[in-house]
Amino acid sequence: MQRLSVCLFLALSLLIVPFTTAPAAAKTITVGIVDCYSGPPSTYTNDVRDAFKMEIDRINAAGGVLGRKIEFVTRDSKFKVDIGLAAAKELIYRKNVDIMMGTINSALALAISDMCRKEKVPFLVTFAKSAKITGAKGHDYVFSITENTALAGKAGAVGLAKKPYLKYWIAGDDYEYGHAIADAVWNNLKKLKPGVTLLGQSWWKVGEPDFTPYITAILSARPDAVIVATGGRDCVPFLKAAKATGFTKRVPFYMHTATELSTLKPLGLNAPEGVIGTSNYFFYYPRTPENEAFVKRFEAAYKRKPAVGAIYGLLAARFISRAYQKAGKVKPKAFIKAMEGMTVDSPVGKVTMRACDHQAMLPMFMGTTKKAPGYDFLIADDIVTIAGKDVMPDCAEIARQRKK
Amino acid sequence: MDSGGITVAALMQQVLVGLSRTTILFIVSSGLSLVLGVLRIPNVAHGSLYMIGAFVTYSVASFFGQTTAGFIIALAVAPLVVAAVSLVLERGLLCHLYDREHLMLLLFTFAFTLVFGDLVKMIWGSDYRSLSAPAIVQGSFDLGGFPFPRYSLFLLVMGPLVALGLWLLTNKTKIGKIARAAAVDREMVDAIGIDVSKVFAAVFVIGCYLAGLGGALVAPTQNITQGMDHTIIIEAFLIVIIGGLGNIWGALLGAAIFGLTDAIGILIWPQFAIVFPYTAVVIVLLIRPRGLLKAIW
Repeated sequence: MQRLSVCLFLALSLLIVPFTTAPAAAKTITVGIVDCYSGPPSTYTNDVRDAFKMEIDRINAAGGVLGRKIEFVTRDSKFKVDIGLAAAKELIYRKNVDIMMGTINSALALAISDMCRKEKVPFLVTFAKSAKITGAKGHDYVFSITENTALAGKAGAVGLAKKPYLKYWIAGDDYEYGHAIADAVWNNLKKLKPGVTLLGQSWWKVGEPDFTPYITAILSARPDAVIVATGGRDCVPFLKAAKATGFTKRVPFYMHTATELSTLKPLGLNAPEGVIGTSNYFFYYPRTPENEAFVKRFEAAYKRKPAVGAIYGLLAARFISRAYQKAGKVKPKAFIKAMEGMTVDSPVGKVTMRACDHQAMLPMFMGTTKKAPGYDFLIADDIVTIAGKDVMPDCAEIARQRKK
Repeated sequence: MDSGGITVAALMQQVLVGLSRTTILFIVSSGLSLVLGVLRIPNVAHGSLYMIGAFVTYSVASFFGQTTAGFIIALAVAPLVVAAVSLVLERGLLCHLYDREHLMLLLFTFAFTLVFGDLVKMIWGSDYRSLSAPAIVQGSFDLGGFPFPRYSLFLLVMGPLVALGLWLLTNKTKIGKIARAAAVDREMVDAIGIDVSKVFAAVFVIGCYLAGLGGALVAPTQNITQGMDHTIIIEAFLIVIIGGLGNIWGALLGAAIFGLTDAIGILIWPQFAIVFPYTAVVIVLLIRPRGLLKAIW
């Protein structure tokens, strides 16, 4: 008798399980996010997640997409490829997420991208800067809604070509990002202005504790301008050393992320003025009603100003919801088709997802650091907007890279 | 590669910049060397104490609104906080383990790098912090046509002061003499009725105080962040090894070699500057495998 009841119980549970879980899962669209939420990179990634949540909450409050609510789950990669990849696996195989999103780590982004290609799950890259993601290693299932080293490098070169400098020095982080961005700026600059010469280069290790000897050595070579290819948290101590040595007063320099809020805020009013930088977003620029409304909502929700990550989070939420709406169903192929060429509104204007490489055509803002009344940190001034289409490699170039 | 020719002024300036980095390296590695020489403990958690010193400096200086006075107070308080932490560590745990083999002690102190790392994360969070140098040592002045940071000059003054203090401590005080004797023959010192345990506690606390002081001095020049413990501990151990294990003056010599090859390497061959100090370490160890000065071990 007991054995029978056990058998019955097992048989029943086998029947019940699929019926209880399947309908519940069908009522939502699940987004799996893997990103680094511990350590210094979290300064950047928290804004992506928070702005994404804010927009998703709004969409859900208005009834969701196709009658479904959008849900998301986050996993901390701890900036490690193996941990992040294991988390992505868990989200794809066990949580059965409809779509993947993340990460700030380029190596991890490329690894998840490869997994998503095999598993046929769309993947939105929100911060990683490797140009390979939508370039040489791009495919149908991966999308990038952030600038990358190729775009930033081109934007930097376009801006620098307008200045009178001829003798350059390159200095940067001795790893993928540093070399990629330095090469991109320099190669584009040589094309735009053939008269430029390179006096020399300095490369330091990531996390270099003291930049003073590097700066004094660069100054002794007397270049007209310096291209500084340092990223992430190293920007802060570099700017500090630049201020201490009077670098900007002697030689102007370009550093891609120098004008970003995440870089300038920790330095307060002690950041050097006159540093040229590029970014996808400033909370104070462009001064449009859309941007002002977005900043107000973000500040009300999180008691801080949105940094560049916030625009990526917002765009991710908008692209995901609009694409499913347009597709009319929650199917990867239909989602991809809907995403290609799609345009969404944002605080930085209309942003289009280019069909040929799945790269969002984001404008780039080039500005110079300056003290401004009302702020207890430096902001970017003399901002020049460089349109996304002007800095993106053309579709033929992308096709050539992918063929290699 | 043409860098427009390296002038004597540029070289001199680079030497001075290198020496200011030497100061931090010397302060941290002399503390490590002291503990290594007297207590025979390879204290891997030394770097963590340096990190705690930097974080406490940040907190104390920020409490006073990052003013000059606030920085001076922080410079005095932070190493003392680190010393207090190390006293608890020594009296509570380490003092029971002196008889264990070195590998055990190494693992034990390594465990504390993890504990301290998480402790810092719990107290200060995972974001990096940035502290400004006090107004009087901010900016730079002109030195033979090149800018020289005032803070580097401040470090150049601090270095000899700390070295002098250490010399007085080890040569002119009773505790220093006992410590030196204990380093050579622990049993003999014990046998003549001196409580070695207390001397060890004092030496450990002084060594850790130096780690805290190094952290406090470095705070305005770089990011105060998780991971700064790993960078410094590797460099400090290399310096201690090339200087001669447990020899404080060896640490000074090692720090100078490390700091100067780094700075001069950056000037003469900037693409490959990273390898210079490590090449120097390899050369020293090839010529003198036991370090430049007499190792106490």
